[in-house]
Amino acid sequence: MTREPATLDVPLVELVDRLLNRGVVLTGELTISVAGVDLIYLGLSVVLSSVDTIRRAGAEV
Amino acid sequence: MTLLLRAIVAPGDAGVGADLGLRAVSGTAVAALASTWDTTRVAGEPELLDHHRLIQTVFERVPCLPARFGSVFADEDALHVRLVQREVDLASQLARLGHRCELAITCAWRDKGVASAVSIVPAGSGRAYLERGLERTRGDREREVRAEAIVARLLSELATEPTFVRHRTCPRPAVAVSMSALVTRDKIDGISSRLERLGAQLPDVTIVVQGPWAPYTFAVSE
Repeated sequence: MTREPATLDVPLVELVDRLLNRGVVLTGELTISVAGVDLIYLGLSVVLSSVDTIRRAGAEV
Repeated sequence: MTLLLRAIVAPGDAGVGADLGLRAVSGTAVAALASTWDTTRVAGEPELLDHHRLIQTVFERVPCLPARFGSVFADEDALHVRLVQREVDLASQLARLGHRCELAITCAWRDKGVASAVSIVPAGSGRAYLERGLERTRGDREREVRAEAIVARLLSELATEPTFVRHRTCPRPAVAVSMSALVTRDKIDGISSRLERLGAQLPDVTIVVQGPWAPYTFAVSE
């Protein structure tokens, strides 16, 4: 078993899942994942890129 | 100036993030901590991890509710209006969750989910295609059953402590169980020891425990 206090890497995908899909939301924005396109739109205000990098890191676990 | 919400804290803790560049917008029962945000900025992995680091730093100092990444407000007034609308619920959540932390417990297949991955290899004939599909379905079902058995073992270990738990089985090919446990800090070492012993008994998965994190999974939106 591996224990990583406040880790930022292993497994990164578990952390990213929480950052993007959980936690308090005050604006009611929806996270929309566009299949095959490495962009996730957060409302109309923030564009998230490099999701493929995160997915590659998470694919190891 | 546009603000990106980071966390919710008690009004008396509103100044906790001043040295982190966090601006506080206070209501009566709670305060919101936010960073200025350039709306033309494209966020990526570094911004996500910065969000986590800021929340973790605040969480190490005071009880807080973590914000989902991406809550943006036009200005402090807009954030204040929304905060006031939600502050009764947020104050209740903060009192219930703010002093607890989340452990992320991941059980990863030791074979990295090879059994599921191999079935996506294109088959030649129609019969071979159908046979592969049947094999994949059977394999997936077996893994789901096994994952549920692992969940039962995990819950048995966690039941010795007053924890709240949420879990998903087989969320990705390489993962058998993704579980979140809400615990108090004084229970972390005991739980980790139990999970370590359990991990040594399970031949087909590796248990990874991450945290303590702010209670992302248990802070709800509405």
